Amino acid sequence: MEKNDAAAENGSELQRYRTLYDMLLEAIPSSVLLIDRDLRIVSVNRNFLEKNRRTLPDTIGRRLDEVFPAIIIDQMDFSGRIRQVFERNYYIKGERMTYRAPGIPLRIYYYSILPFSWKGVVELAMLLMEDVTEQVRLSEEVRRVERHLASVVESAQDIVLSTDMEARILTWNTAAERLSGFTLNEVRGEYFFNLFHRDDQGEMSNVFANLRAGKDAQMVEWDLKTKDGGRVPVSWIFSPMKDHLSQTVGVVAVGRDLTERRKFEAQLLQSQKLAALGVMAGGIAHEIRNPLAVCASAAQFIMNPEISPEFRQECAEKIHAGIHRASMIIENLLRFSRPSVQTDLKEIDLNFLLEETLSLVTNQARIQKIEMHWQAAPEPIRINGMEGLLQQAFLNLLLNAIKAMPDGGALGIAMDKTDREAWVSISDTGHGIAANDLNNIFDPFYTTAPAGQGSGLGLSICYSIIKQHFGTIVADSEAGKGSTFTVRLPMMEANAA
Amino acid sequence: MSEQSDLILIVDDEPDMCWALEHLLHSQGLATRRGLSAREALELMQQERFSRVFLDAKLPDMDGLELARRILEIAPATRVIMVSGYFYRNDVSIQEAVSQGLIHGFISKPFLQEEILKVLTA
Repeated sequence: MEKNDAAAENGSELQRYRTLYDMLLEAIPSSVLLIDRDLRIVSVNRNFLEKNRRTLPDTIGRRLDEVFPAIIIDQMDFSGRIRQVFERNYYIKGERMTYRAPGIPLRIYYYSILPFSWKGVVELAMLLMEDVTEQVRLSEEVRRVERHLASVVESAQDIVLSTDMEARILTWNTAAERLSGFTLNEVRGEYFFNLFHRDDQGEMSNVFANLRAGKDAQMVEWDLKTKDGGRVPVSWIFSPMKDHLSQTVGVVAVGRDLTERRKFEAQLLQSQKLAALGVMAGGIAHEIRNPLAVCASAAQFIMNPEISPEFRQECAEKIHAGIHRASMIIENLLRFSRPSVQTDLKEIDLNFLLEETLSLVTNQARIQKIEMHWQAAPEPIRINGMEGLLQQAFLNLLLNAIKAMPDGGALGIAMDKTDREAWVSISDTGHGIAANDLNNIFDPFYTTAPAGQGSGLGLSICYSIIKQHFGTIVADSEAGKGSTFTVRLPMMEANAA
Repeated sequence: MSEQSDLILIVDDEPDMCWALEHLLHSQGLATRRGLSAREALELMQQERFSRVFLDAKLPDMDGLELARRILEIAPATRVIMVSGYFYRNDVSIQEAVSQGLIHGFISKPFLQEEILKVLTA
């Protein structure tokens, strides 16, 4: 009785284990098959049946080649591998298999074949198949996105590069290679600064310091050194590169080749000059005809044979002086009207430049009865700059001031310098700029002048020129009272002085 | 000439222009005064009587045509001749000024001495 109970208990215990085993097998989210030496399927779990749309009766006892497509059996050499598991008692782990059963979408599996031994003899082989279709699809998607991003960067016409926080170059796109002539291999790990000329390097370390300090994008214009020793003007935008925790881990720089824009600007400048010449023409005509009239009168006196030698001498001197004056005016005009293609920096005395520019508008100012208050700096102000461009910028500002005072007023020009910068302010007592226009005055084509009387380009050209000199230009104005434009330019570095 | 004074006023901010006109007029036995600005010219107009005024169009402190108007206010019988490098003879503003009687003649710079002498007899 006791014995029977124990046996019955044993039997139900066994039954419980078998049920548990079956449940376990059914619950595994992978396909599990047991295969015997004849390559017949002995056991199979629900996962396999469901994935392959098979039933237990048409699977159990079948040979592998009746259940798996022949192409898989052949390609994977299933039979050979299973035989090896039986003979040598070893694993085959983590192989990949692309499975396409009839009527079923393509699946990708990782499979392992494990020996199933009893007392040292391999009784069965267990085939474990894990469906990794989703994972593979995801990682392919990731790779596709990566490839896409890479080709976006590579196809860009602009330079796209990244550096670490110390400004060492990490990546460098095709446009960067094309513009600079340096390949990624030549610049990887190099300091970004080394690709530029020494003049810009001070400003450059400021930009990187700002980015490290958490500042947002920074815009600058620096010339890139090229492999063949040239330089390309490039406008740069530097942005902090953040990781998923919003920590700045590097810097992304996007650079646009300004060569074409500079050419366009040069053309624009030339047409601006012609427009300015138009404004100046009236004043110049007046100014030239005065000395001409003096010369003509003096010449007519000389034609009279009866005049005294002293008067004759005086007349000759007047003629001489008059011609000199007229030709100076013409020379100024000539110098101004020449296209200034020269873009190399040279040492300029701002005092002298302003004085010369002022002489171009003096006549126009006089005609409009404008008082000029010219306050030269006590000593020369030497800066590095492009003379023709700066002259154009100041001329535009002066002509604007004059234009703002059709009924006379006062034009003030003041300038001075500190250790770090030079400044020039040009003020007028004209009609001023309305507060809501003040924000737009440096925008191209922004004008309040009637059609045909202003291109809206003058101030945007000033802005561009001053920017090219790493300076700033700001406007203060009150409608009805007048305007003041202040230009600040960095002083040239104290070299061999 | 007229029974009035033969004194002539020359107004030009350019001293050499005044010099040229003065020499020419003096050679004709005429007396002149010189004003280098509108202010100086108006002061002289208050002090003396002038038969004629040779007037530049653009002065540092006043427009020539405006000065002509003020001169005629002071001495309506004065003949005002504009001598200018800024305008040309057919300029609308010059033709208007002539038709309004603001100026009685216009000579453009540079000029021939005969042109000046001609207006003296007009």
